[in-house]
Amino acid sequence: MALSVPNPPTTPRRVKVYELRNNDWFDRGTGYCTGQLVNDEPHIQVKSEEEQDRMLLETKIIKDDGYQKQQETLIVWTEPHGTDMALSFQEPEGCAAIWEFVSHVQSHLLSISGADEILSDDANETLIGSVMLPSPELGNLTEIEAMIRSASSTAQARDSLGKFVLSEDFIRKLIPLLEMAEDLESLENLHRLCNIMKMIILLNDTLIIEHIVTDEVIFGVVGILEYDPDFPSHKANHRQFLSDTSKFKEVVPIKDPEIKKKIHWTYRLQYLKDVVLARILDDPTFSVLNSLIFFNQVDILQHLQSNQAFLKELFSIFHSTESDPTQKKNGVLFIQQCCSIAKNLQGPVRSQLYNHFIQNGLFAVIDFALLHEDASVRIAGTDVLVAMIDHDPAMMRAFIFRQISDKQKPLTDTLIELLLGEQDLGVKAQIADAIRILLDPATGLQIEGLGKANDITSRLHPRNHSADRETENFLKTFYDDSAKKLFLPLSELDNRKSLKGLSIAEVSLFSHLVDTLCFFVRQHAFRGKYFLLAENLPSRVAQLLQSPEKHLKLSALKFFRTCVGLQDEYYIRHMIKWRLFGPILGIVIDTMPRDNLLNSACLEFFEFIKRENIKQIIVHLGENYRDRMKEITYVDTFNMLILRCEQLQDTTMPSSYVQEDKSIRNHVNGARRWQGVKDMDAAEEEYFNTSDDEDSAPTPKDNPIKGANGSGSPLPKPLVDYADDDPMDTADESKPEEKRGAAAPTKSAPEGASSASPTTSPTTPILQMADGDVPPGAPMPERLSEKRRREEEDDDELGKLRNKRRSPTSGGSVNSLTKKRSSGPGGSPPTKKIAINLAVKTSTGSSDGGGGGGGEVTGDGGGEADDEK
Amino acid sequence: MSDLDHAISLLRSCKPIPEPAVRELCYKARELLIEESNVQLVDAPVTICGDIHGQFHDLMELFRVGGDVPETNYLFMGDFVDRGFYSLESFLLLLSLKVRYPDRITLIRGNHESRQITTVYGFYDECLRKYGSANVWRYCCEVFDYLALGALVVGAGSFVGDENEECEVEVVGVGGDVVTRLKRRDDGAGLMNAANPLQEGSAGGGDGGTVGGPPGSGASGSSGGTKGVNNGAVLCVHGGLSPLVDSVDKIRLLDRKQEVPHEGAMCDLLWSDPDEIDGWGLSPRGAGFLFGADIVKHFNHLNNLTLIARAHQLVMEGFKEMFDSSIVTVWSAPNYCYRCGNVAAILELGEERNGSGAGIQWSAAAGRGQGSGVARRGPGRRYRVFEAAPQDSRGMPAKKPVADYFL
Repeated sequence: MALSVPNPPTTPRRVKVYELRNNDWFDRGTGYCTGQLVNDEPHIQVKSEEEQDRMLLETKIIKDDGYQKQQETLIVWTEPHGTDMALSFQEPEGCAAIWEFVSHVQSHLLSISGADEILSDDANETLIGSVMLPSPELGNLTEIEAMIRSASSTAQARDSLGKFVLSEDFIRKLIPLLEMAEDLESLENLHRLCNIMKMIILLNDTLIIEHIVTDEVIFGVVGILEYDPDFPSHKANHRQFLSDTSKFKEVVPIKDPEIKKKIHWTYRLQYLKDVVLARILDDPTFSVLNSLIFFNQVDILQHLQSNQAFLKELFSIFHSTESDPTQKKNGVLFIQQCCSIAKNLQGPVRSQLYNHFIQNGLFAVIDFALLHEDASVRIAGTDVLVAMIDHDPAMMRAFIFRQISDKQKPLTDTLIELLLGEQDLGVKAQIADAIRILLDPATGLQIEGLGKANDITSRLHPRNHSADRETENFLKTFYDDSAKKLFLPLSELDNRKSLKGLSIAEVSLFSHLVDTLCFFVRQHAFRGKYFLLAENLPSRVAQLLQSPEKHLKLSALKFFRTCVGLQDEYYIRHMIKWRLFGPILGIVIDTMPRDNLLNSACLEFFEFIKRENIKQIIVHLGENYRDRMKEITYVDTFNMLILRCEQLQDTTMPSSYVQEDKSIRNHVNGARRWQGVKDMDAAEEEYFNTSDDEDSAPTPKDNPIKGANGSGSPLPKPLVDYADDDPMDTADESKPEEKRGAAAPTKSAPEGASSASPTTSPTTPILQMADGDVPPGAPMPERLSEKRRREEEDDDELGKLRNKRRSPTSGGSVNSLTKKRSSGPGGSPPTKKIAINLAVKTSTGSSDGGGGGGGEVTGDGGGEADDEK
Repeated sequence: MSDLDHAISLLRSCKPIPEPAVRELCYKARELLIEESNVQLVDAPVTICGDIHGQFHDLMELFRVGGDVPETNYLFMGDFVDRGFYSLESFLLLLSLKVRYPDRITLIRGNHESRQITTVYGFYDECLRKYGSANVWRYCCEVFDYLALGALVVGAGSFVGDENEECEVEVVGVGGDVVTRLKRRDDGAGLMNAANPLQEGSAGGGDGGTVGGPPGSGASGSSGGTKGVNNGAVLCVHGGLSPLVDSVDKIRLLDRKQEVPHEGAMCDLLWSDPDEIDGWGLSPRGAGFLFGADIVKHFNHLNNLTLIARAHQLVMEGFKEMFDSSIVTVWSAPNYCYRCGNVAAILELGEERNGSGAGIQWSAAAGRGQGSGVARRGPGRRYRVFEAAPQDSRGMPAKKPVADYFL
């Protein structure tokens, strides 16, 4: 049979030939591939490159639909006798050429067979599968629309239709009709065209989607899509937007035309995804768009980072004093965009990019950006900085050390100055985040307490000790030199009588500083503690409790809640010594019985003390604030506290905190009490003993609490750990911890340590939360390696979400739930971004959560999409 | 106030307001919300709404159907943002109305009012696209932390509709016509039982035990005449109940100013779902729990509630009562995600009337059901069902594209 196929591709393309044998791809050799017509029949041939005469492959192209193009360079098919074959091309172009030949031949074969064998059953099937459309004109659009619609219903027909559309360049043929219909003002036809175009796009054929964003057809395509029959009285302005409104900003000329093309394509793909198709996209098409965008971005960044000339030129903008300020600004924004795209790339690729950037002077650019007068540039600068810290904190810290040894102003100080002076509240918030991330030992490294607390993590991500030491040094430097500067505004409160009349920027600064303090308290173990107590910062924070700004009061309260939540000796004693519980109680009294946020937060604070039975505090409260507490009757919390205090004082064995017990249980970073902590405690105590500064950081020998005079002598330890006498509790004396959990309305993890993260610090290591909940043998949550996928703060949270485990917080039925939960498939890190998946279903919650097993919230991905319907 | 009114008028036309105005608005809202309790007390009459999800034009449709602010009092049960293309405008409009008419509108927190969730489901991206930086998103998230966790509606009347018809449930269909009317029945049957169109001539007033609430008999003790008519209250939360919360007062003891945690009471209130199970069950969402009829009934009884209203789950009919009308899901995003094809609903709770029968309508167990415990009846409920805003009223919904690009 004669074929009117295009000239077969005769240029030899280098290729490897594979054959599937016993489920393994067997390498038949490397050679050169061409398409040939042998006796008018289309063949693919591969000649060995070693022996010119030897054929590695000689196969006839058949009409069966067994050929697939995979990735850029792979063609896979099944031979008529059943062997699976693959051609792996060296160049994507080679693959494309051969693929074009194959598809062309196939569509011709299909059309011919349809004509020839119209009566045979076999042909009938083929006919149903193969779709041929008439050449489009205004007169037959209805017919075409109907044909496409019916073809869209079966997978086979869709496939065939897709091939047809491509091989016949069908889309290009539609475009002239747009203008004709517009000229005729034939809305009917415009709507039909739009429907046809939508259906073609929703065929979800990668090649078609790649095709529609090319220069040749894009305007026609979006033009057609402007007339959506769902909005008969509207017309979108996609063409205008793409041609006039949108602007490609080329800071430095990108010379490679291919890359430039890709940039435009990518932009158009995004525009299609977000605007043109936003309403109609189904899941598969959505993900096809996403992956096309992703791969393009990878190519673009790969190209840019390896293009030295380009990078030189880009960064030279900032060296020259003469260059246009707008260009400099755009340069920063350009780099920001590169970095934000890079966040999605794989580690090594991202490393390369950053390294090349750094070699060319990225840090100077960050410096430039941070000091820029335009807030948007400062934001961009902080963005880039945060991306760098996230990517490799050790590198950033090393860089800062270098600055210090070079007698330059270290980046930390620049950030601190910015935080203190910044007026733009958004930038301020972002810089506060950046400082926290920079100083977060958990970003990449573990130090001191954390290293041990998260020992699982360190096992997963073994770090050498020098790296640990570096972080440690870094923190030391920070606390030696910078911390005072950072918290100076807080320290200066000491001389301030009233907190009235603070400016908005000041209020926001204080709340960032207090948030940062909370973070240090949680993350920096003894170093942070020493600094805080030596500077008596808790007392300064307590001043903020008097601020007229209620949210500042709340921040301050949160700080104390964090300290108490750790159940750490030193903080508790410090708070007792400086009588800092008083002002908190004061807020309760001021706000009661008004049932507002501040009041609730205070109640929670005292509830926690009651629930955790922190004897030291209870005694202190009872002895010093008894009368005030008695006034508070609208909740029983305070009454209970007084009662418990009386019980504690009554006991023949005067109660006390149990030194070892407490410190082990409540060590800062959610210490895991079954290991390692002892050493640390020793080390910590030694630290405190040796660096005793005044008496604000009491040594363990200072045990007697100054405020606890009432009970007289140093309180010896109780022989009996009194069971929680909360009335809510039921029997089961043997498991006070569990009971406590059951009685706890809020964060009732079994151990105080696990509830030590009441706030939402982005960087709280997840193990803190899981700690104590996950039995040692249980699958451990994956470390936050995948965190911060998109944006510093939230991604940490997402990371946590992903790794979340349920804690057995309540008794009875819930416990059994927990069991079930942890024995679930567990542990599989679910996909990061979830395409909307809308099952239309009325019954609730019956469907399986999909997403990762166990108790993982990414279920919110799978789960929510499914369930929320 | 003129600034605020200006912002409201901009937002009403679905135009974003400038960044400094957002900051100002969020600042004011925070001052206001900080004074609200975790479970805000709300007086009937009020109209309760479920998820909005950034479907701005449908929110306008909701106001058209339910009445505008401040003429109608509203209570929105969270999930203002994500999914739809106008999260920003929707949320800011609601927030500015809240600031403008604090007593007329109540906003409580949904699971989507969270930093983590919004980064994944669209609100974050939307802010970035519309403002070029995450600042506005930050301001909004800060406000999220202050939103109340629930609300308690008190003083809801027993009947809807005409004074003479003791109609417990009325469903107003898409066209504005009443499609279903259920009179109150003794066996506590709710809407889920076979539709039971109101019969003509049902007696008014509480003159006996035939129709309507029979005279009070013991149990709760508040029988006819006494002023302290105990109608019970309606608890509104986004998700549902928590095994850690056995009383409404327990919610008061939470420090709500935080990102929605991954577990614990606050998480559960925003994430849980009712389900046809006994007791508590594992939620496929990975957060919160499933809870069965027994849990709801027990909770309602213990807390003197007659109904729990919640959102959180798409229902094709817009609303769905479960467990003998002890809990209802209200969903207010029609054609969810612009393609689910569902209708939406809002729930109107009327004011208690001072009519003759008022004193007895809400007494405890039905006369004939002596000893069957306290089987409270729900308040009179009118569901207004509505469809997505007509296409022409809204232009083509689409995300706002970023105009400038480098890569």
